[in-house]
Amino acid sequence: MISRSISTGLMGAVAAAGLCLTAQTAQAGEFPERAINLIVPFNAGGGTDLLIRGFAPHFAEAIGGQAFVSNMAGGAGTVAASALAGQRADGYQLGYFSITIATIQPQIREVPYGLDSWTPVCAVAASPTMFFVAADSPFQSMDDVVTAVRDNPGQYLYGSSGPGAITHLSMVAAFEGLGLSDHVRHLPFQGSGPAMQGMAAGTIQFFGDTELLMQGGDLRPLMVFNAERLEHLPDLPTAREVGVQAPLDELYLWGGLFAPAGLDQAVRDQLSEACRVATESDGFREFADRTGTVLRYMDADTFDAFYREAFGAASTLIEASGL
Amino acid sequence: MLSTFGDSLALLTSVEAILTLILGTMLGIILGALPGIGSTVAVAIILPFTLGMSQAPAVLLLLAVYAGSVYGGSISAILINTPGTPQSAATTFDGYPMAQRGEAGRALGWATMASVAGGIVSVLLLILAAPQLARLALNFGPIETFGLLLLGLTCIVAVSSGDMIKGLIAGALGLLLAMVGGDPITGTPRFTFGDFRLIAGFDLLAIVIGVFALSEVLLRVSEKLSGTAEFVSFKGIVLPRLAEWKGRLKGLAKSIALGCGIGVLPGTGAATAAFVSYAEARRSSPNSGNFGKGEPDGIIASEGANNAVTGGALVPTMALGIPGDAVTAVMLATLTLHGITPGVRLMQDNPTLIGAIFAGLMVINLLLLPLGMLASAMAAPLLRMREAFMLTAITLLCFVGVYFVRGNPFDLWVMVAAGISGFILRRQGFPMAPLVIGMVLGPTLEMTLRQGLIITNGSFGAFFASPIAATLIVIAIATLCWPLLSAARGRFRSRRGA
Repeated sequence: MISRSISTGLMGAVAAAGLCLTAQTAQAGEFPERAINLIVPFNAGGGTDLLIRGFAPHFAEAIGGQAFVSNMAGGAGTVAASALAGQRADGYQLGYFSITIATIQPQIREVPYGLDSWTPVCAVAASPTMFFVAADSPFQSMDDVVTAVRDNPGQYLYGSSGPGAITHLSMVAAFEGLGLSDHVRHLPFQGSGPAMQGMAAGTIQFFGDTELLMQGGDLRPLMVFNAERLEHLPDLPTAREVGVQAPLDELYLWGGLFAPAGLDQAVRDQLSEACRVATESDGFREFADRTGTVLRYMDADTFDAFYREAFGAASTLIEASGL
Repeated sequence: MLSTFGDSLALLTSVEAILTLILGTMLGIILGALPGIGSTVAVAIILPFTLGMSQAPAVLLLLAVYAGSVYGGSISAILINTPGTPQSAATTFDGYPMAQRGEAGRALGWATMASVAGGIVSVLLLILAAPQLARLALNFGPIETFGLLLLGLTCIVAVSSGDMIKGLIAGALGLLLAMVGGDPITGTPRFTFGDFRLIAGFDLLAIVIGVFALSEVLLRVSEKLSGTAEFVSFKGIVLPRLAEWKGRLKGLAKSIALGCGIGVLPGTGAATAAFVSYAEARRSSPNSGNFGKGEPDGIIASEGANNAVTGGALVPTMALGIPGDAVTAVMLATLTLHGITPGVRLMQDNPTLIGAIFAGLMVINLLLLPLGMLASAMAAPLLRMREAFMLTAITLLCFVGVYFVRGNPFDLWVMVAAGISGFILRRQGFPMAPLVIGMVLGPTLEMTLRQGLIITNGSFGAFFASPIAATLIVIAIATLCWPLLSAARGRFRSRRGA
């Protein structure tokens, strides 16, 4: 009760502070009758929070109502997902979940949600991960890496931003897919920043993340976990070309809107369409471009199939990583 | 060079920029002074407002709030014994006893002067030596960081002189609390008792606010409300006279150096710096006997160091594009949003902007002095509220602060539990500072120890192959043993004398 009244008070404060974004008011009786809450499962100020705060005004405009962003952090994102999973599926509460919250955490932890807890609404972003070495590294290609690792088992270290993170899983996918997982060791860090410092200092030799990371550090990508080569990096081979076996050859850091399971189909489609308009709007495109986010819209049905497939692929990865 | 400097100044002298600096610093001080709203939270609250601003003011606003909040934490630490931010926890040790003596104004004066000095020196360092320092910091791997944190942990000994055993128990409790949650290396849940809400461990802020602020409220209530007007007597900041600095400048210089150095290193931060600096000052200060009883040197050590971190933490951020902590990570995100690519070329590619940032940081640190006096003057009438109102207000602030950014109701339960446990422990004479030190340093200490063991293939002896790490570990062990040795010697002497 206390938390309820505090949150109402805070919402008021947040709205007054200009974070709440208003478009024209909807007619009575139609969806949406009130403001839609976009739940960010992390702290305010993080990358995900920033993206959704950029997305919210365009989404509000497209749905013809109001949308506001709220944060519920904790449990590596699972606290928000667990709270949402128990809510009524009325379309007024949507969570923005990433690959780790939606497909990895429920398979490695005791959380009160699983594969069938959701009505996937739309995918917003999906960036393929890449295999990086330091820019001054002697490794020019994956062949160099494979040869060196095979000849010196146990000598090389790959980093990650933490166990179970996408940065960890991309390295698991790489070395498991190449049959070398017994030859390398894993050194987790507290986030990507310290890991990049470790890369610059030479403590770790390999790191996997999305292209966004290249902006910050001196890195050289050696392969990309994408279905085909990237347009702007035509010389960068895909993981499959290098010899990584399916289903480990494709790995995306994706995120999308989820409602609790059992959402009315008409409402779902309306939300999904608004999500398309917002994702494809010039304003949000420009915003995403500046943050290095690769937008990739999927409608509800496509996203549902994609999510279920990703859930299956995640279980292969989890098994290989020993999480 | 000069024309760039002129352009930088032009960026800084616009009405928008000047207002940003003043309002941002003031807002930072107020947010920092509110218990529960730490620097990261303060910066996160401000972040959405920067989206509509132009490049330089946007970055300056974040920097102003950052530097302001680090200083602001000391106000509540001194006046109500509740660190507004974890960085200021070490300021309570001597700041609050001074306030209880009726010298709150003087305590704040010392804190303000030390903060301003720390901030300015660290900015100078950032301007003069960022690229070189950033390269040096790369030599500081997990093993060296482990040595440093071990040294930080000896601060537990320094702050629990009254009852060493109880202090050590509280410290161990803090380390234990820090272990709850996912194992940093394997991700396996520890001590979560199957509850997913504990996967990422306890929220540090919820615990800090619980054991400091909420338990303080409970203690006062249990001691029968006095009903009389004043909490502590406070009429505004009293700046220390020049003569009073005699004998204290060396301590100030040392704490600033420690703050700058620790700020440059990745993954440590202002709270660590304040604790390490306090421990060092207590060891070496000529007034070390008064530490914990309201000794200005203790305030200087804590506040000089934590404000010096602000400039230091920006060194790797600016020079390498690698964020040193959560606050600088938010700052990098803002730069990216404004079309500036962080990275090794940031300083070469944007000399005008960087010039404006450096000059702005200087102004921000100078502004801490007048704005700090203003903020404290505003706090003074609040402190004259009846104690019952004051306690109610603090309790309310605790709840709002802890709930605000994470929006996680579970954190409120954690805070209440920490408050009640803290109350019981404090009644039994257990100090709470060691507990917080354990919790702040614990996760990184464990992380770096186990990272080090992975790197050396499980050999702890190989840690001593690093001269930096070996030196730090030896000093830490010596510091830890010194009070035991001197106590034993003292007992031996007294027995012989008898």
